[in-house]
Amino acid sequence: MTFDLTISAADLLLLLPEIFLTCWLCVVLIVDFASPRLPHTRLAVLSVIGLVATLACLAWFDVAHVSGSLFGNMFVLDRMAIFFKMFVVGSTALVILASMQYVDRFTLFRGEYYFLVMMSALGMMFMVSANDLLSLFVSIEFSTLGFYILVGYLREDLTSNEAGLKFFILGVFAAGLLAYGISLVYGETGKLVFSEMTPTNTTGTIIGFLLIFAALGFKIGAVPFHSWIPDTYHGAPTPVTAFLSIAPKGAAFAILIRLFFVAVASFKPMWVLLLVAVSILSMTYGNIVAIAQRNIKRLLAYSGIAQVGNVLIGLAAGTKMGSDAILFYLLTYLFANIGAFAVVIAVAHAIGSEEIDDYSGLNRRSPFLAFAMLLFLLSLAGVPPLAGFIGKLYIFIAAVKEGLYTLITVGLINIVISMYYYLVVVKKMYINEPTDPSPVNISGPMKAVVYIGLAGTLVIGIYPQPVIEWVVDATLMFSNMVGPSAVVTPSLPPFGG
Amino acid sequence: MVEHILLYILFAPFAGALALIFVSNRQPMLVRGIAVASTFVCLVAAVYLFYAYDPVKGGFQFVQKFQWSKELGIALHLGVDGIGTPLVLASAVLLFTGVFVSWHIKDRTKEFYIWLLILAAATIGVFMSLDLFFLYFFYEMSVIPMYLLLGMWGSHTKKYLEMTDPEGIKLRDSVGFIFNFGANSKEYAAMKLVLFLSAFAVVALMGILLIYKYSGLDTFDILVLREQANLMNIPVLGTTLDKIIWILVFFGFASIAPIWPLHSWSPVGHAAAPAATSMLHAGVLMKLGHFSIIRVAFEILPDTTREMMPIAAVLCVFSIVYGGLVAFYAKDTKYVIGYSSSSHMGYVFLGMAALNYISLSGAVIYMFAHAMATGMLFAMAGWVYDQTHTRDLPSLGGLSNKMPFIAGCFIVGCMASIGMPGTVNFIAEVMIIVGSWNKYPFQVIVAVLGIVLTMAYLFNMMRAVFYGPMSQKYSHTHDAVATVDRLPLLVMIAVSVGFGIFPMQLYDVVRSGVDPLVAKITYVAPVARTDDETGEIGRDPASGANRLPLMTPHSRPLASYALREHE
Repeated sequence: MTFDLTISAADLLLLLPEIFLTCWLCVVLIVDFASPRLPHTRLAVLSVIGLVATLACLAWFDVAHVSGSLFGNMFVLDRMAIFFKMFVVGSTALVILASMQYVDRFTLFRGEYYFLVMMSALGMMFMVSANDLLSLFVSIEFSTLGFYILVGYLREDLTSNEAGLKFFILGVFAAGLLAYGISLVYGETGKLVFSEMTPTNTTGTIIGFLLIFAALGFKIGAVPFHSWIPDTYHGAPTPVTAFLSIAPKGAAFAILIRLFFVAVASFKPMWVLLLVAVSILSMTYGNIVAIAQRNIKRLLAYSGIAQVGNVLIGLAAGTKMGSDAILFYLLTYLFANIGAFAVVIAVAHAIGSEEIDDYSGLNRRSPFLAFAMLLFLLSLAGVPPLAGFIGKLYIFIAAVKEGLYTLITVGLINIVISMYYYLVVVKKMYINEPTDPSPVNISGPMKAVVYIGLAGTLVIGIYPQPVIEWVVDATLMFSNMVGPSAVVTPSLPPFGG
Repeated sequence: MVEHILLYILFAPFAGALALIFVSNRQPMLVRGIAVASTFVCLVAAVYLFYAYDPVKGGFQFVQKFQWSKELGIALHLGVDGIGTPLVLASAVLLFTGVFVSWHIKDRTKEFYIWLLILAAATIGVFMSLDLFFLYFFYEMSVIPMYLLLGMWGSHTKKYLEMTDPEGIKLRDSVGFIFNFGANSKEYAAMKLVLFLSAFAVVALMGILLIYKYSGLDTFDILVLREQANLMNIPVLGTTLDKIIWILVFFGFASIAPIWPLHSWSPVGHAAAPAATSMLHAGVLMKLGHFSIIRVAFEILPDTTREMMPIAAVLCVFSIVYGGLVAFYAKDTKYVIGYSSSSHMGYVFLGMAALNYISLSGAVIYMFAHAMATGMLFAMAGWVYDQTHTRDLPSLGGLSNKMPFIAGCFIVGCMASIGMPGTVNFIAEVMIIVGSWNKYPFQVIVAVLGIVLTMAYLFNMMRAVFYGPMSQKYSHTHDAVATVDRLPLLVMIAVSVGFGIFPMQLYDVVRSGVDPLVAKITYVAPVARTDDETGEIGRDPASGANRLPLMTPHSRPLASYALREHE
């Protein structure tokens, strides 16, 4: 195969957000080196400005329907890529806002923190545009590199070091799986670009794709690739946990959608079964283990595993509507999860604890934070009129149209299980009396994040139509996907051909 | 203006809740004022709706439709028929009176009213939803406020408070866990209620999703589904699909009604809840179950309903007898009223199961009547609890000297609950009994004996609370003297007795909703002209020979309907 590497100005336009962000993060780094006395909050503001500008540029792309592909189809910019880029950039901006107070805790390298967060975001922006196996590998490793450092950023904190080490070892292991899978798939098909592949039913192809799926499963934290999640989420600095729980999942789902809907679309009867199994395991395991958690970050970690199970229902549906539902669900998850983590950061800053027991009487200490946390948790649980409810329902509707009744039944039961542990937190906050009734204060940027989370959660819950239209447009390219129900009898190709 | 009346009723409480967010807790009178104002708007609009509803025209009136999501086939489709209208009125009355009943709540007043208003608005939303999605949306939305209302302003049971030894305290403070049945705390009650209702709500949601999928219409609109959805004769799992959907929908919604084996969350929740929440819970929240069954199962699956409804006729016997017996032996005022509510909901199921004009109308009127009667009883039980800080029947007594007004109202409440002539409950009970006699004579006998049982436990409670010797520790208690304390009881008594003496508007409205439904369900043989009239809202296509003329409900005395039924 040959790559046409001559780049015209029109092609460069497609890369404008990435090029801009690259320049901007160099600026942030230079400013940090040039004036070491500058308070790090200024750097944060600078970073947010850059991200908002990137977001504006992407929004313009979305409105103007800018699209195309580069480097011999390695990099595509379609509306789904734009959606996920906005998702990643938006969540990064919110995470930086939520970090401003937390960064005081770092003794060294405060400026580099913002650089690393944005660098990971840049990696993920490439990731959602990856359209072949090589760019997929490179962009995944690019984005994960920043996270390896960020997770262990609290140098004196042993749990943070442990988290970093665990994340690194398992991450590198996943990278190995990914590389091996790519080599197998390339060896069998001779193609790297997703849309050009015509995978045949051979042992090498199947094992190759399973390995790629395992590596991506590691990114999204689906059972059985979840083992790093609780410790890493627990030990990492909380803003990094928030970042880790949202942006990479979104980016990895972008790749999963492309992989399943484009590259191996012909294997659909087979991967539906795989996804059903992984989804059921993730939801059930995440929700049941979350019940026993005493630490709010671990609780959110396990709830995140369960949420990924929910998103996988949409992927298992394997239709245009399924992909719409995934995009929609991830957006509702973004607002609820970033909001919940913002509350966790604010509370931890005030009372120095992340134990659920220490949330007792939060309603009396800070009615605003308690109310916000209530709405975020209920949105995660899927209670109307909040965004999470519409997201869950959207996914269930997509799945019921494909007749995935087992999956829906398990999903519905899991809603009830999850309701329990979210309500235990609500009980602590609202019903229990505080041991220390001093009010909990909240800083300005943190308030902004919580307000944005609340606005997203409520507005999408009450009037989702604009967002639904957006996600429906974003995945128009999958309109020709047919569900497994259209296949009269799903005749399974035998494993190992 | 007038055509938007449903929006006023639905959004007045929401607007009140929204306004309350911006008010400080330090201004309790302003908080209460906003709550009163928003519920008053709601009440006035509901009364207007009730009298403006045209029973001669029938069908769904004041219909509002706003496209909500084209892709998912969801519209905010609101409208009331003869069944929804009285229930909207009942909700509005109970919400309005509930605000006054909660007048003396001092702890976090603002939050209390916010959740109360959201709870009531969500229930009202169910009664006027013509879209399955929004029906479920409001249904599920009404559950979470209950958790907070019970948990934050509720009360523990005596059994819980008695655990004062170290072991007991340890046990009772571990109530975060659902399986700790030993500790009847308010947290336990709240958690049980939410988990129970959510668990069965998702059962109903499964049914709704199956309707959505197999109708193939890509819509949640009940009016479209009931005309066009054909869910019959699809074989699945050894039976037919419509039966499975019916079972899912029926038991999903019947759990909140609550039907017999699924009732256990309800009395526990009643007991733990603050007075106004108990009122709304027993008064209208439980009716969501019957109403949703009527709206979903009866409207969309009429033939299956005819086939399957005997299930309800069997279970209602257990509801009536079990609830009545437990109420008789209960030692806690709110448990007595709570179990009596469970028992009385059995009458509604009996009326629904018999499936004829008289019995189903009776069931709907009973829902309305029971809302008033049980609302009164819970309001007064709440007053007694606020004064004495106990709900324990053996330790109470002789309070009639201290609170003659409450005692007097309590007698009226008991009379209404029993179904004394002169209250609207009487009319409802007679209609259920007369209407069901031909089809379910055994159940009717049980139901009549159940009335005797009701009398027994309510008189028992009345004697235990208000008569006999009074303990000295209650000498500080006082009567409801202030207008705000008396007003809610007087309103509920006025509604109950008013409709008991002048029931015709209520009866006409209910009949106009029930008639097309019963005609559709009981009409068996196919008729050539089934598809022609579908365009018109509220008309059933299968208007057969045994359908009664809607135009002249006044012209026939009650008995002639009953006789005609079974010709």
